Amino acid sequence: MSILLRNIIRFVLLLLLQVFVLNQVLLHQLVSLNLYMLFVLLLPFNLPRPALMLLALLMGLSMDMFMNTMGVHAAACVFIAYLRPFIINILSPQGGFETTQKTPSMTSMGVSQFLTFAAILVFLHNLVFFSLEVFGFGNFFYLLLKILCSTAASIFLIVLYELLFFSKK
Amino acid sequence: MRNLIIFLRRYFNFFLFLLLEVICIVLVFRNNDFQKTAYLNSANNVSARLYNRYNNVQYYFHLKATNDSLVNENARLHNILRTSYDSVTLDNLVKTDTIRTYSTDTTRKVVGIELRRYLYHAAKVVNNTVNAPINYITIHRGSANGLKPNMGVIGPSGIVGIVRSVSPNYAVVLSLLSKGRNFGFSARLSHSKEMGTVRWYGGDAGYALMEDVPKSVRLIKGDTVVTSGYSALFPENIPIGYVESYSLTDKGSTAYTIRIKLATNFYNLQYVYVVDNMLKDEQKSLEDSTYRLIK
Repeated sequence: MSILLRNIIRFVLLLLLQVFVLNQVLLHQLVSLNLYMLFVLLLPFNLPRPALMLLALLMGLSMDMFMNTMGVHAAACVFIAYLRPFIINILSPQGGFETTQKTPSMTSMGVSQFLTFAAILVFLHNLVFFSLEVFGFGNFFYLLLKILCSTAASIFLIVLYELLFFSKK
Repeated sequence: MRNLIIFLRRYFNFFLFLLLEVICIVLVFRNNDFQKTAYLNSANNVSARLYNRYNNVQYYFHLKATNDSLVNENARLHNILRTSYDSVTLDNLVKTDTIRTYSTDTTRKVVGIELRRYLYHAAKVVNNTVNAPINYITIHRGSANGLKPNMGVIGPSGIVGIVRSVSPNYAVVLSLLSKGRNFGFSARLSHSKEMGTVRWYGGDAGYALMEDVPKSVRLIKGDTVVTSGYSALFPENIPIGYVESYSLTDKGSTAYTIRIKLATNFYNLQYVYVVDNMLKDEQKSLEDSTYRLIK
């Protein structure tokens, strides 16, 4: 399957999964299950940065359309899309990642590297997302707790997703 | 000039990032303004249709609770129906939107004619959230059925929210579960008739706070909080919730903060009624012209 087709399918799949499954699950006030930003995380390594940001904007606006939160998802997505190349640069070994696989995954980056990469970006996404959502730092510790709990939940979901779709070594 | 172009090309990525973020933030700010109508929301064709299809499936899982609430409502309505009282005859009633009332003695004179003031439109809920700071409900009735923004919305057991924007077949309702400085409901305690404002402060979707109730009032746990009828959005005496507990914010404050349990169960909302107040425009224009006189 070509990279383009794979990403289009992933876009639709993650959008539907987020809107119709994860957003219908009410775990706790502090935990909201977000997985849709995985689309931005798993875009190919060699994609130029403007394209990365525009695709993230598209994903964010699609989510906003469903959730009635105009601009909140989009701002968070564009933010992590801009920072993604920096994080990859910092985490990559001397000669860059193996070129056999073109997208970030547990097999192409190594388990610990991939988890660090995902954790940093998910945390930054949630930071922007929840700050914009509550609008102001009225209750700072509640906000921080919510960001941390939701980040943990998202990373758990990302690991599940990776184990489901990239089990082959 | 050449240096400027080189500078722009060098930091192109950063400027694009700034531009996109600014666009997003502007969208956020515009959307947070409750008065303006939103352009891209779940009332549009694609998302509303998908939500509708999803709800067709999910609806079955709530049938039992929906039936229970509808039966309870029917029982309540039967109890206030005119046929439940034996002193009224319905023989000579004309079929217009008025209700004639007769004197109860043997002469049966017409005492008065009541004009219709509120018209209720039933609507199916197709999407509903409870865990965001500002929650919206999408309903399957729109401008084609006479819905307009700023109409009150009530459920089988209590008030639900306010219509925010409409498309031909769908409308988005701003739920009572919305945090906002200027978003509150004018309310009254049914026992002491004291006025206050009901606001939701996030957190649990089953509870809200009632404020501005003077300290002098004797409060009773379990007392019903109802709509005041002052706001022209809701009829009088629609339940909002029940007094759960109350406290003074500090020793010096003169008003109670009352925690109320909401009458509407927002977790399994399936049908709502949109309230069309026929006299709203008249009341509003009169009030506005009076404010202008004072200014």
